Amino acid sequence: MTLFGFCKTMAELTADMFIVPILRFQRNIFPPFSYPAGDLADWFSSEGGIVTLAWIYAVNIAFAVGMTNLILVIHLERKIAARIQDRRGPMLSFRAFRELGEDLAGKAPTWRFKENYSGIGIIQNMADGIKAITKELIIPNKADKFLFSMGPIIFISSSVFLLVLFPLSDRFAASAAPAGLMVIMAAFSIAPIGVLTSGWASNNKYSMIGGMRSAAQLMSYEIPLLLSMAGVFLLAGSYNPVDIVEQQREATWLFGLPMWNFIPQFIGFIVFMICILAEVERVPFDLPEAEAELVEGWTTEYSGIRYMLFLAAEYIRGFAGAAVATILFLGGWAGPWPVPPEIWFLIKVYLIIIFWIFIRWSVPRIRTDQILELGWKKLLPLSLINILIVIFMVEIYPYFADIISLPEVF
Amino acid sequence: MNFKDLQKQLKAMKGVTEISLIRKNVIKLDLDKLISKELFTKLKEEYYFEHCSLITAIDNQPDFELVYHLSCLSGELSVGDTKMAAMVEVHIHLERDSPSIDTVSDLWFGANWHEREAFDLMGIYFIGHPDLRRVLLPEGFAGHPLRKDYVYEIHEEEW
Amino acid sequence: MAEMWISMGPQHPMTHGLWTLKVKVDGETIVDADPELGYLHRSVEKMGERRKYFMNTTLTDRLCYASSTTWTHCYVNAVEELMKVEVPTRAQYIRTIMLEMQRLASHLMWAGAYMPDLGHITGALYFWRDRELFLNLLELPSGSRLLYNYIRIGGVKRDLPDGFEEKTERIFKLFEQRLDEYADLFENSKIFRMRTEDVGKFTGSQAMNLGITGPNLRGCGVKHDLRKEDTYEIYEEIDWDVCTREAGPGYSDCFSRYMVRIDEMRESVKIIRECFKKMPKGPTLASRVPVRATGEAFRRTEDSRGEALMYLVGDGSDRPYRWKIKSPMFTTISACPYYLKGYKVADIPAIMGSIDICIGETDK
Repeated sequence: MTLFGFCKTMAELTADMFIVPILRFQRNIFPPFSYPAGDLADWFSSEGGIVTLAWIYAVNIAFAVGMTNLILVIHLERKIAARIQDRRGPMLSFRAFRELGEDLAGKAPTWRFKENYSGIGIIQNMADGIKAITKELIIPNKADKFLFSMGPIIFISSSVFLLVLFPLSDRFAASAAPAGLMVIMAAFSIAPIGVLTSGWASNNKYSMIGGMRSAAQLMSYEIPLLLSMAGVFLLAGSYNPVDIVEQQREATWLFGLPMWNFIPQFIGFIVFMICILAEVERVPFDLPEAEAELVEGWTTEYSGIRYMLFLAAEYIRGFAGAAVATILFLGGWAGPWPVPPEIWFLIKVYLIIIFWIFIRWSVPRIRTDQILELGWKKLLPLSLINILIVIFMVEIYPYFADIISLPEVF
Repeated sequence: MNFKDLQKQLKAMKGVTEISLIRKNVIKLDLDKLISKELFTKLKEEYYFEHCSLITAIDNQPDFELVYHLSCLSGELSVGDTKMAAMVEVHIHLERDSPSIDTVSDLWFGANWHEREAFDLMGIYFIGHPDLRRVLLPEGFAGHPLRKDYVYEIHEEEW
Repeated sequence: MAEMWISMGPQHPMTHGLWTLKVKVDGETIVDADPELGYLHRSVEKMGERRKYFMNTTLTDRLCYASSTTWTHCYVNAVEELMKVEVPTRAQYIRTIMLEMQRLASHLMWAGAYMPDLGHITGALYFWRDRELFLNLLELPSGSRLLYNYIRIGGVKRDLPDGFEEKTERIFKLFEQRLDEYADLFENSKIFRMRTEDVGKFTGSQAMNLGITGPNLRGCGVKHDLRKEDTYEIYEEIDWDVCTREAGPGYSDCFSRYMVRIDEMRESVKIIRECFKKMPKGPTLASRVPVRATGEAFRRTEDSRGEALMYLVGDGSDRPYRWKIKSPMFTTISACPYYLKGYKVADIPAIMGSIDICIGETDK
């Protein structure tokens, strides 16, 4: 029972029960709208309409799952960062609403500190979101008004687009593109346009510098990223995440333990992890938005919900990057039976994200020219070496046939 | 170079009016304004005083007084048997209207901002200073506040 | 891109304190720098002329709020020299303990403010957590955590409370363990070294001409510490060493300046332990402190940031006639074109952070 199948059944149900009767009813009542309504009703009962409706439902479900994961990622980051720093992080519990209720009812709230503020703290994120929404949206006077609003739209929409592109398992897929991973990498690469636009449109020297640094960093790390992925593509034979995970699941076993892709492609794995950290702009590569040098970098002039969405988009890209790393190198959703493959996938993604959180809060920043030097001078040759190794492995495949079994590649 | 020799040599220079010893490692001199630059150059090049610690401007009511504190950090000057660092305190008296003196900021870069502050707060002009403008007070400020005859009134310039 | 002037203006998270740094930038490289001060000028010197000698200790506390005891001590020592007051020995020992503990708190504050400049926010919280330990200790004798008003003319305000020595020893055990952890976390970190080595270099002889003193000068390998060379209080009876480091023959960089301060922290712990052992019993305040004074006196002491000098002129009344404060950061900030030229804009926080700026004392 795949996601698409489930959605198709739901689509048929809802179309039969709600959409088509309403449209046919409208055909009888409103003469100006009756003909389009009738055509629409016919289309919805047909195969094309049901499939479209199913896709819309599937995308929405995948989006909802992605957003839930986003909240969990943000919460995890805040809590783990706090524990590393010898404090506790957000601790608001649901019982704090009692205080709000007492306040609204006009009574003085009694001080119940321990009960109200000793919980998990996950509604703190909701509170922060509400605070951000209620702030004033400021556009600087001399800024380019159209581009100022366009920059966030480009950045955020390309990042949210990523959420529905990768499958959580072979049956939970909202996108059936045969070149799935290439579409994901292309969506990653739209972001520098948004960054440059926002930085330039802010009419602020700092933002411009931050935007240019960020764009330089993002563009120069695309190349080792894609080259390190090329090794996996060569081994698996396609761009489809399903095929890549299949190749890892069946192929590589060493002394009974799964040896997904990160051991045969060790160099590629290391290069990919470093490059994806630079792509999603996490420490140690987050100089463009560094607080110490350029206030907030290219997001300086943004306020309120636009700023919160920038941050949310960065976390979404982080999540997507970890998901891509899992699919390519850590075996995706492969795992022993009792746990469903979606949960395996999420477990592996969260492990990678926790590892990144540990790095972020233990390590200082690297300067821009050192970042670029690292990317061009050290990671690019390493990724090329990785491709050479893979080609070597593929060419002398018969000698390794008893350890690794590869599908028919060439 | 010994501290006592330094004291003798400074006493023998013309223009040095009064010389005494404070606290074992500080020589205090009163100096004539005209040979000030020459003495300072000599202090820096021959007697190893490479650090200008402080330049103070004092408003004794009939005249101004400048006090220079110079110190030797590298240990070339030895004070007896101890490891104490030698220091020199130079007093120079300037006249009341338009006080001015040669700058020492080309000898010691550290004196640059001290002289700017003396100009800013007390109004002493340093001839030859590369960039003599106010350092602590804003640019449109009128008057030199640390003088004893400075009267605070509400200023009407905008800054 | 052509050369342009960027103003890291008075409101900036990086500049510790309120001052403007204008840098002329050619692409990413710094070509020139022009600092501007005066946003925090409170005319302390002129105020001091209106107040009596003993009232000025509250002003000197607020000169540098990160390291306030050392400034009060400099002023009080200058006044004692002017009035020729003899300070009892026990008071001298207590003052030394307070000064060294203040030096520890000030260096920890500096380190806690330096780490976020490099991007390491956890470092800030670790160092400030340790600073809390020392602020709690400093609260016990004096009653306040940040601006003490504890050192008075002729001695100290009151004696140390009971149990102070045991508490201090307990905290020192914890602190030394933590210093070893931090050595592992920061000095052995490749990225930290990449950010701080070969950055912000100046030679010792250049520094002496530019007017730079204190840990910045000791980072160049010059063995100059005013506690040994122009000694005051009880430093000559205690066995301790001057800490110097150098990044190469005769010059310093950010890493050596960082290491000098960490070494100084360990030395301070040693000094305080020895002071506790040797402290005699006796009075803590001189029995007779005159009110009027005539003459001139000056005193220079080793502040956490360099050489602090106070010059006092008395004219026979109970107020100072002229009071001049010299702050080590005044000349160090003026010399910033020398150690900023040729580096990148991204190095500015690393360099200016390692100089340890406190604007309160600079602007008076």
